[in-house]
Amino acid sequence: MSEPRDQKLASRNIPGMNRHERFVEVQHAEHLGATLKRIFAYFIRERGMVVFMLSVVIFGTLCSVYAPSLQSRAIDTIAGVRAGNLLWTVILMLCIYLLHSMCQLLQGIVSARLSQRVVKHMREELFAKLVDLPVRYLDTHSHGDVMSRMTNDIENISTTVSQSLPSLFSGVLTIIGTVAIMMWYCWQLAFLSFATVLLTLLATKILSGRVRKFSRRRQQLLGQLNGTVEGMVSGYRTVVAYNRQEKITEDFCQTADSLTKVGIKTDIFSGVMGPVMNCIGNIGFVIIAAFGGYFSIHGLISIGVISAFIVYAKQFSRPINELAQVYGQLQTAIAGAERVFTVLDEVDEDQSGERLKESEQMEVTFQNVNFSYEPGHPVIQDFTLTVPSGKKVALVGATGSGKTTIVNLLMRFYDIESGRICINGQDISHVSRDDLRKNMAIVLQDTVLFSDTLRQNMKYGNEAAADAQIANAMQMSRCDDLLKRLSHGLESVLVGSGENISQGQRQLLAIARAFVADPKILILDEATSNVDTRTEKAIQDAMQCVMKDRTSIVIAHRLSTIRDSDLIVVMDHGQIVESGSHDQLLAQKGKYYDLYMTQYAGFAT
Amino acid sequence: MMWKYIRRYLPYAILAGAFMIGEVSMDLIQPGIMSQIVDDGVLGLNFGGVGNLDLIWKLGLQMICLVLFGGLCGSLNNVFVHLSGQNIGNDMRKDCFRKIMTFSFPQIDRFGTGSLVTRMTNDITQVQNFISQFVRGMIRTTMLTFGSMYCMFRLNRMFGYVVLCVFPLIIAVMAVCMKKAGSLFTKLQEQLDTVNSIMQEDVTGIRVIKACVREIYEKLRFGKANDELIKTQLRVLIIFAFMNPIVNALMYLATAAILLMGNVSVSAGKATPGSIMAAITYTTQMLNGMLMLVMLFQNITRGIASWKRVRGILDSSPELADGEQNGETAVKGSIEFRDVSFAYPDGRTVLEHIDLKVNPGETLALMGETGCGKTTLVSLIPRFYDVTGGAVLVDGVNVREYRQTALRGKIAMALQKSELFSASVQENISWGDPKAGEEEIKSAAAAAQADSFISRMPDGYRTIVAERGMSLSGGQKQRVSIARAVLKNAEILIFDDSTSALDLKTEADLYAALRKANPHSTKIIVAQRIASARQADKIAILENGHIAACGSHEELLASCPAYQAIYQSQIGEEDDRHE
Repeated sequence: MSEPRDQKLASRNIPGMNRHERFVEVQHAEHLGATLKRIFAYFIRERGMVVFMLSVVIFGTLCSVYAPSLQSRAIDTIAGVRAGNLLWTVILMLCIYLLHSMCQLLQGIVSARLSQRVVKHMREELFAKLVDLPVRYLDTHSHGDVMSRMTNDIENISTTVSQSLPSLFSGVLTIIGTVAIMMWYCWQLAFLSFATVLLTLLATKILSGRVRKFSRRRQQLLGQLNGTVEGMVSGYRTVVAYNRQEKITEDFCQTADSLTKVGIKTDIFSGVMGPVMNCIGNIGFVIIAAFGGYFSIHGLISIGVISAFIVYAKQFSRPINELAQVYGQLQTAIAGAERVFTVLDEVDEDQSGERLKESEQMEVTFQNVNFSYEPGHPVIQDFTLTVPSGKKVALVGATGSGKTTIVNLLMRFYDIESGRICINGQDISHVSRDDLRKNMAIVLQDTVLFSDTLRQNMKYGNEAAADAQIANAMQMSRCDDLLKRLSHGLESVLVGSGENISQGQRQLLAIARAFVADPKILILDEATSNVDTRTEKAIQDAMQCVMKDRTSIVIAHRLSTIRDSDLIVVMDHGQIVESGSHDQLLAQKGKYYDLYMTQYAGFAT
Repeated sequence: MMWKYIRRYLPYAILAGAFMIGEVSMDLIQPGIMSQIVDDGVLGLNFGGVGNLDLIWKLGLQMICLVLFGGLCGSLNNVFVHLSGQNIGNDMRKDCFRKIMTFSFPQIDRFGTGSLVTRMTNDITQVQNFISQFVRGMIRTTMLTFGSMYCMFRLNRMFGYVVLCVFPLIIAVMAVCMKKAGSLFTKLQEQLDTVNSIMQEDVTGIRVIKACVREIYEKLRFGKANDELIKTQLRVLIIFAFMNPIVNALMYLATAAILLMGNVSVSAGKATPGSIMAAITYTTQMLNGMLMLVMLFQNITRGIASWKRVRGILDSSPELADGEQNGETAVKGSIEFRDVSFAYPDGRTVLEHIDLKVNPGETLALMGETGCGKTTLVSLIPRFYDVTGGAVLVDGVNVREYRQTALRGKIAMALQKSELFSASVQENISWGDPKAGEEEIKSAAAAAQADSFISRMPDGYRTIVAERGMSLSGGQKQRVSIARAVLKNAEILIFDDSTSALDLKTEADLYAALRKANPHSTKIIVAQRIASARQADKIAILENGHIAACGSHEELLASCPAYQAIYQSQIGEEDDRHE
C-alpha cells in the first residue's frame, strides 16, 4: 500500500540532513576494520547518549511489535469471536502505540544531538589539524578536496551513524520480533508472507545493476555538461571573439541529448522501483487477505490475526527494503571517515625547540643550503648568504629561480635538506617554530586578509597592539585615506577575505599589518599584480618605510623598488649568480645588467 | 512560458497522469475487497454466518489481477513521467544555452557568470525534478489522501468523520514544523557560509596564520562559528524529530477511535469487522499520502524558485541588433573612435569623448591606471559593448553596421585573463583558425614564445588543458592564448594586458616575433609597463575616461606629465637624467 521509499525520502529530504537515494554510487573503504574502530571511538565518548538511544530503540521496537497484536485482539472482540473488554484493550493498545511514538521522538532528539556533537568534535579536530599541519600539506593537496573533507565527509559520517545505524538496529530488531510473533500466530501464513521478501530482493538485484551502470555514465555526462557551461560562460569573451557560438551550441546540444537519453534510462530503471515495491507490498496484502481468509475458515486463525498480519507484513518489509540502502550508506560513510582519518593521521608541525636568543641585532645567514620540494628536483642549491643586521637584501631573478622558496625556508614552512640557516649564529632548526616566527613578519604576494574587523586584521601579528600603534602604522603605510573612507573606522568588517577593498589597498593593509607586528626580521614578497601607478607609488613608499632599520629580505619583481638595497642577490636556478650593490652589478655588465636592460630598454634586446 | 515546453510533451504527461490514476485506484479498491473477504468469505455475514471458501479464492484472484494491473500502471506512469520530465528539461537546457550564446556582455554582466552557471545546471535539474515529481507525486498524494477519505466515508460515515477530525490536526502539526524550521533555514545558510568562508580563508592564508603564530586564535574563531552552526542545525533537526512521531500518534488516536466507534456500529449492525479493518488500512494510506505531500511542498517551493531563475534567462532577448555589412571593405585594419562615450548599464561612466585613429599596420599602446577604461575601450572594437555616444569605425564602417560574426572575424584578441577551455592545447590554439594544420599551429605557438614549453610537456600539443587552464601557469596560459590570436591572422590584433605574467625577456622576444609573424596587422596593446609600450608607433594615455595624451614615446616623455609620472615610477629619476 504504502510507498516506503518515498516516505523515507520525505524524512531525508529535510535540508540539513543528507539526502540519500537508493542507487547512489557506493564508495568503499580500504581498511574497514581500523576505520570502524576509530569511528566507534567517537561514539564511545558519547556512550551515555548511545546507550540511552539504543535502549529507546529497543523499547520502541518492542512496542511496535506488541501493539498490533492488541489491535488484532480488539478486532476479534468486535467480531465476537473473542470475549473481553474492548475498551480496555483499545486503551492499552493506544497507550502502547503512544509509547512507540514517544520512543520515536526521543530517538529523533537523541540522534540529532549525538550527530551534531560528533560533527562538532570531528570538524574542530580536523580544522585544528589543518592549521597545525606543515604548510606542505596544503601546498600539495587540492583545497577543494580539503574543504569537502571538512563538510561532506564529516556530515556523512555523523548522519549515517546517528540515523542509519539506529534504523538498521531497529530494523533488525523489528524483523526478528515481527517474524517471531508472526510465526507464533500462524507459521503457514508467516511463510507465505515472507515470499514477498524474496520478490523484493530479486527486484532490487535485477534493477540495481542496470541503474548503477547507467547512473555512472550519467554522472560522467553531467560532469561534462556542467564543465562546458562553466567554461563557456566564464570564457564568453573568447567564445564571442572567435565566433565560436554555433559550434559550441552544437556540441552542447549533443552532450545534452545523450545526457537526456541516459538520464531517461536511469530514471526509468530507478523510478520503477517505487511502483514495483508498491506492487510487491500489495501482493503481500493479497496473500494475507486471501490465505488469511482461507486459514481462518479452517479455524487456524481469527480475523483479528489477519488484521495484525497486515500491520506486521508492512512493519517487516520496510526494514528489508531499507537494508540494502543503509548498507550502501554505511559503506560510503566509512570511506569518507577513512579519508578524514588519513588527514588526522598526518604528522603535525613539530613545535618543540629552544627559544630564539634575545638580541637587538638580527643577522641572518644561509650556509650551503640545499632544498627541493620533490626529491631529485633541487630548487635551492648550495645557497650561501648573509643578511647583516638592520640591512636590506633584495633577491632578484626570473620566475622559478627559487626566490620565493627562501621565504619558505627562513620561516621554516619547509625544512632544508642540508646546510644551515642561522640567526645570530643560532641554527633555526633548533628553534621552536612559534618563537622563530614571532620574530619575523611576512608580506606576501597574494595579500591575505581575514573577514573580521579591520582592527583584528591589523592586530594579527601583534595581539597586544594599542589603537595608537595601529593608527600610526596605518599612517606610515599610507592607509589613512582608506581608514577615513570606511564608515566604521577600525571596527569596519572586511567582507569575504577583504573583497570590499581594492587590490592595492589590500597590499597597503598587509604592509600596515607588518608595521603593527614590528618584527625584528621582515620578509617582503613584492606583489606583481597590476595596481595603478599612484597606489603603486604609495606601496613602494610604505615598503621603504617599514623596512627602515630592519633586517629585511625583499623578493623583488620590479627592479625599481630595490635600487637602494644594501645588497642585491641575483638568483638563477636556485643558485646565486651575482651579488653586490646596484651600481656594482650594473658595472659588472652581467646577469643583472641584462635584466635591468630588458626591463627598461623595452623591445630592444 | 512553462506551458510552451510542456505542450511538446503533453501526450506523455497526460499518459503519465492517466496511468497514475490507474495505479492509485487499484490501491484504493483493495482494502474494500479485503473487507469483503473478511465479512463475506470468512465471517459469511451475508450468508448466515457460514464462510465461503470459493468466494475467498475468487476475490483473492481478483485482487491479484488488480494488483498486477496497478503495478503495470505504476511502471508505465514512471516511464512516461521521466520521458516528459527529462525531455522538457533537455529542451529548456538547450534553449537556455542558445539564449546565453546570443547575450551581449551587459546581459552576461547583469546575470553574473556564476549565477548563469548555477541556473544552467542546478536550477534546470531542479525544474526537471519538479516536473517529474509534480506529475507523479501530486496526482498520487492528492488522490491517495482524498481517495482514502472518500472511501472511508463510503464504508461508514462515522469513520469518515474521525479522519476528517484528525486531518486538520495533522496539517496543523506539519505546518507549524515547516514554518518554525523555515525561519531557521536562512540563518542556517548564513552560518554555513561563515564556516565555509573561514575554512576557505585559512586554507589559503595558512602562511600568514603560521607566520603570525595565530593557530590557536584561528581554532577559536572557527570553533565559535562552528558552534553557532551546530546549534541552529540541532534546532532544525529537533523540530523535525517532533513531526513524524506526533503525526503517527494522531493516526494511532484515529485508529483507536475507529475501533471503539466500530464496535458500536457493529453492535448496531451498521458496520462489519471487515470494514473496520479496511478503515484502518485507509487511515494508514491517508497518512502516507500526507507525509509525501510535505516532501512535495518543499520540492515545489524549490522548483518554483528555480523556474523563476531559469525564466530569467529564457525571457531575455538578445540586445545587440545585427547589421548587414558582411565584412568586405576597401581598407583593411583601420580603427577610429569618433567622439566615443561609454557608460555601463549601472550608470558608471567610463569613457567620455574619445577621439582616436589607428591606421592600418600601426601599433598603438594604451596606458593608464587600472580602472581608467583601457579594457572597456578595446572591448568596443569587436562590439562587446555598444557605445553610448559617438561611433566606433572599423575599416571605415560603423561597427553597428557589421554582421557581428563578420566584424569579429576581422579581430583577434588575447585577454588579460587568458580563457582556455578543457581540450588539448592544440585545439585551444586552433580556435583561432579551425582549418589550420599542425605546422601552422606550431609556428603560431613559436611566435607566441609558447612552442618551447608546449613541446617540453609529456604530451606536447595534445596535453589536455585542465578545467580553465589550471594545469598551466599564468604566463603559459597567456602565451597559449596569444598563439590562438596569432593563428587567426586577423587584420586587427588586440592584446589586452595579455603579457602581464611574462618576464620581460620573454615579453620582448614575443613582440619581436609578433612583428615578424603578423607584419601587416594593426596592433593594439594595452600595457602596464613602459617597456611594453615604448616601441609602439603611438602611445595613448588614458586618464579618467579621457585621452590625456597621444604620441610617440619621445613626444610623450617631453610633453606629457602623466607619462612622465609613469615613467618615473618604473624607471626612476636617475635614468631621466641619462636620457
